Amino acid sequence: MRVRSIGVLSVVVGIALSVALARVAAQGAAPPRPADVPRTADGKPDLSGIWQVLNTASWDIQDHQASQGVPGGQGVVEGNVIPYQPAAAAKKRENFEHRATADPESKCYLPGVPRIMYMPFPFQIFQAPARITMLFEYVHATRAIYTNGTPHPKGHIDWWMGDSRGRWEGDTLVVDVVDFNEDTWFDRAGNFHSAELHLVERFTMSDRDHITYDVTVEDPKVFTRPWRMSMVLYRRTEPRVQLLDYDCYAFDRPFHPPVPQ
Amino acid sequence: MSQRFVGTVIGAVLVGTILSAAAVKLAAQAPPPPKNPPPPGWIDPRNPPKEDPNFVPTKTPDGQPNFQGQWGQASDIITYSIEDPEAERAGHTAISGQRPMIGRPIIDPPDGKIPYLPWAMKFAEVLHEEHLKPSKPEYLDPVSRGFQEGVPRINYQGAFHIQQFPGTLLITYDYHHSYRVIPLDARPHVGSDIKLWMGDSRGHWEGNTLVVDVTNNSDQTWFAIVGSFHSDALHMTERWTQTAPDHIVYIVTMEDPKVYSRPWKLRIDFRRQPVDEQWENAVWEGNMLGGLPQDFWGAAKK
Repeated sequence: MRVRSIGVLSVVVGIALSVALARVAAQGAAPPRPADVPRTADGKPDLSGIWQVLNTASWDIQDHQASQGVPGGQGVVEGNVIPYQPAAAAKKRENFEHRATADPESKCYLPGVPRIMYMPFPFQIFQAPARITMLFEYVHATRAIYTNGTPHPKGHIDWWMGDSRGRWEGDTLVVDVVDFNEDTWFDRAGNFHSAELHLVERFTMSDRDHITYDVTVEDPKVFTRPWRMSMVLYRRTEPRVQLLDYDCYAFDRPFHPPVPQ
Repeated sequence: MSQRFVGTVIGAVLVGTILSAAAVKLAAQAPPPPKNPPPPGWIDPRNPPKEDPNFVPTKTPDGQPNFQGQWGQASDIITYSIEDPEAERAGHTAISGQRPMIGRPIIDPPDGKIPYLPWAMKFAEVLHEEHLKPSKPEYLDPVSRGFQEGVPRINYQGAFHIQQFPGTLLITYDYHHSYRVIPLDARPHVGSDIKLWMGDSRGHWEGNTLVVDVTNNSDQTWFAIVGSFHSDALHMTERWTQTAPDHIVYIVTMEDPKVYSRPWKLRIDFRRQPVDEQWENAVWEGNMLGGLPQDFWGAAKK
């Protein structure tokens, strides 16, 4: 009896092993594609849904210790170095010193890109063939990413949120963003850019509830070379989650009609 | 050399801030401008054209009537006043130089006026008195201060895009990057302690009509610059019906028992527009428009 069951067991193990080896052999050297990302009718990964970061990049995109009201955080900058030109590095330090009032976020201005992507608020993506619409709870900001092969308009245009044109490279959405004003920062730590800012964003679904979001930043007026940020966007999976309001410009000046109680 | 082109459209902050005693005086002295003829293609909300009862819109892949595209109002409604824009003509043209508009979108009650309760009528008169030269920031139109328009005002402010997805209809408005996400499943509204500038919308289809229930409204929005208001008990029922390939009829029933003596209805006729890209439309305090300072506090002190 015992001998027979061991024999059966070893046959089962042997079959399982050979099947596994065959599968690996068939795949070759390429990493396995995530099998279960949702896809649109045209076969692209479907980024639709409500997403939010879980990092502290909105305070400081580099490594930072905790301080009063500010969580400690591991930075999102590759190599943790932002390659400022010397004069720009001085400007960054000055921004940091005066950040309580100098940060455009303190005036509730549109925060620009990529900062809007890692503000600690949810945002919602709607994916149609010609256009991906992103709606942000923070100051009801929006991004329209045109994926219909159209070029950037004739520039330069001084927009807070830039002009976004996207295309698919396999399963990665690649977005080219230009036409910025110089009035936004990357975070509350004073990291900044000029109107020459040029971003290339890459959105890749690693599985149905996570997007790897990479940004390559170029700005020849401020940095000595391009540099990159990388972070994860997490799907908000609560059953009835929706965007609410964060209209910070209205907080200190409410109007309420004197309704009799 | 690249052109410097400021593509950002600046909001109507100018309305409250370039007002001064001089402007009011000028308005009082000048004779009222002549009545304007209706603009070409105008649809009078109070005398609309007959609808084709047999019209059936195309359908989206998931079977919704297809309302997708770019739309804008053809009713000549101005956010300056929705009750009597022609009576407000002198003040409006003195401020803005805009062509006065003639659309009167309130179709019920028949006199086209908001049926305020007595206390609310008194407060509306105070706001109207104050609107040209507000003595407090709260008496300045919220949109002129850069706050969100709310519903239904955003629908007669400017153009918008409708996109439809399974289970959701999305409206993205040109003005101030406003948006409304309208779930079409039967999910409940958010809790009543949450107030939203654009309300909380839940939609469903009745034939070719999208019916949208709008609750959880913030009490901070006005329907017009001259100061028509509501409480946070405001409850709206919108009906969007496509009556022709290029025409949506919009009728919203407004209920607020704290402020109005009865429900009232407002109508907008939307006409389809060629689809433009939606470009940035930022609004922020401290805008400069044509070199005029937008600083309310500065203007109010003078």
